[in-house]
Amino acid sequence: MNAVTVVSHGRPPEPVAAAEPGRRGRRRRRRDNDNDNFNEIPIEFYGLRRGTVTAITAACGLFAVFTLIPIAWLVINSTKTQANIFESFGFWFDLPFVLGRNFSLLFQNVDGYGVYFQWFGNTALYAVLGGGGATALAAFAGYGFARFNFRSSKVLFYLVIAALLVPITAITLPLYLTYAKVHLINSIWGLVLPSMVSPVGVYLMKVFVEVSVPRELIDAARIDGASEVRIFFRLALPLMVPGLMTVLLLSVVGVWNNYFLPLLIFNQNRLYPLTVGLGLWSERAQNSGNAELFPLVVIGGLVTVVPLIALFLILQRYWRSGLLLGSIAN
Amino acid sequence: MNGIASQAPPRPRGMRSLLVQSAWIHRRDRKGFWFVAPFLAAFLIFMLAPLGYAVYTSLYTTRIIGGTVFSGAANYTQTLQSGEFWSGVIRVVIFAAIQIPVMLAIAFFFATIFDLGVAKYGTFFRTVFFIPFAVPAVVGAVMWSFLLEPQFGPFVHFANGIGLHDVNFFSTNLILPSIIVIVIWEWTGYNMLILYTALRSVPRDVIEAAILDDTPLWKIILRVKLPMVRPAIVLLVFINTIGALQLFTEPLILAYFQNQAISINFTPTLYIYNTAIAGQQYNLAAAAAVILGLVIVVISVSSLVFRRRRSEVS
Repeated sequence: MNAVTVVSHGRPPEPVAAAEPGRRGRRRRRRDNDNDNFNEIPIEFYGLRRGTVTAITAACGLFAVFTLIPIAWLVINSTKTQANIFESFGFWFDLPFVLGRNFSLLFQNVDGYGVYFQWFGNTALYAVLGGGGATALAAFAGYGFARFNFRSSKVLFYLVIAALLVPITAITLPLYLTYAKVHLINSIWGLVLPSMVSPVGVYLMKVFVEVSVPRELIDAARIDGASEVRIFFRLALPLMVPGLMTVLLLSVVGVWNNYFLPLLIFNQNRLYPLTVGLGLWSERAQNSGNAELFPLVVIGGLVTVVPLIALFLILQRYWRSGLLLGSIAN
Repeated sequence: MNGIASQAPPRPRGMRSLLVQSAWIHRRDRKGFWFVAPFLAAFLIFMLAPLGYAVYTSLYTTRIIGGTVFSGAANYTQTLQSGEFWSGVIRVVIFAAIQIPVMLAIAFFFATIFDLGVAKYGTFFRTVFFIPFAVPAVVGAVMWSFLLEPQFGPFVHFANGIGLHDVNFFSTNLILPSIIVIVIWEWTGYNMLILYTALRSVPRDVIEAAILDDTPLWKIILRVKLPMVRPAIVLLVFINTIGALQLFTEPLILAYFQNQAISINFTPTLYIYNTAIAGQQYNLAAAAAVILGLVIVVISVSSLVFRRRRSEVS
């Protein structure tokens, strides 16, 4: 749609053509991150001794085992009874195979501490609202900081950068104290709204806009008389999608994994996210004699992890090459 | 990147005089503020205001008799004199001093391997290593608690199997190393990915020149690549330091597993949590939060300055 505007103005269609490489940021055009073997120095040139590649691959394999051990344990033990979790060999299956029964318990209110799938729904809701909100705010702010020189824009941007320094702990407790005053304890907005503030997201979006939304393109649209809002939504936003995906991924994971703030501000178990619920279960299983909760903690942990790992595998192309994460470093 | 932002935008072609044009740019730039405004509002309400409120609260004391009274620096003096608070601070500093270098060394090692492409199945390994980033700290800590558990945990059986008897990963001596292993497990992949990206941006011709000079590979890595990704490493040290000093979830979950080695004030954040929730001493907890915030800012910024000095010298 914008292509028409741009081309009709007699400008070369290069900005639109740039959309494709621009997906990865202009600077990345020269080297290809997604294809591992493209433009790579052939390893024969390194002068490696024989067997080095095998040894290095073995080292990778060892670390992969270390990485996968807890997850393998989780998968295997989600199929076991409470007794077998402790008594049978931890890294192999044992009868009775009770995966189905364990899973069905996740729908029940075991011992009155709460229903797992309610927490799952809560977590998904908080992650979508918080992560989506954070991404939207970061998109607007990143674009604003990158492409406008309004008064004190620099100062404001440095303020955002400085916020990266502030430890979450120093914010979380005061938030809790403030909520107690304004009756936001046990309100989902008490968790969702602060989750929308992502200084890292703003920083990443600013960097991304600078490399992938050409100034000339914006100016051309302005000369055409397009409003700033329209330019943002119709022109800039489509070019910002890869960056937005990364910020979305990071902030969804951030909310999904958040523990300290919900632990403080929710004291009704129907509001808990998964992290707080699972924490409560493992505490009760250990300290209150509710040992029947152990299999639930295990399968609950597994069901918590699976959606995120699936999300990461599906969205691989946005993070695997380090894409935007890397711009933190540059 | 600020260089780009501060450049004047390219002139619109046309007959506009300089004056009209600059007024036009000015008016247009003012609109930029409205893009930033929603974030700034949220930022103000949910980040700056709570910080301000923490400082305010920390200056008061609530007593059972007499209500809330202004007490000046009393909460700060009490925190600063609290041995429990400082022992927690020292513990997380030791934790950070071991965990971060070990993790970054591992991350750099693998990032280099993937960058050079000298391992088979590099893409597969890269994906696997990143998986723990998707695992919530709570779940990670629960899994590792089961694995390391002193009576039934498979790792204890394994230690027995190789002749190490009576190993207790939850003992006073081993609890910190155990947490270090857990945190390394959680964060190595993420750090590796950032280092990998940084390594990819080292210009290829530099490496080619070094190869043509017959420089051995290890020298290329340590003398050429490492210095070129130093900014990324400094940044990672900085980010990880801020995170490590706020250690909270892992020790809290491990403590649930009937763990005597983890006191309720094991880390400063646990101290704050317990002071506020169990102790109901909100003012004192707020003062501790402010002090912890300052300690973290000082340590992380000084690590940055220190690094910069050193890199200037070399």
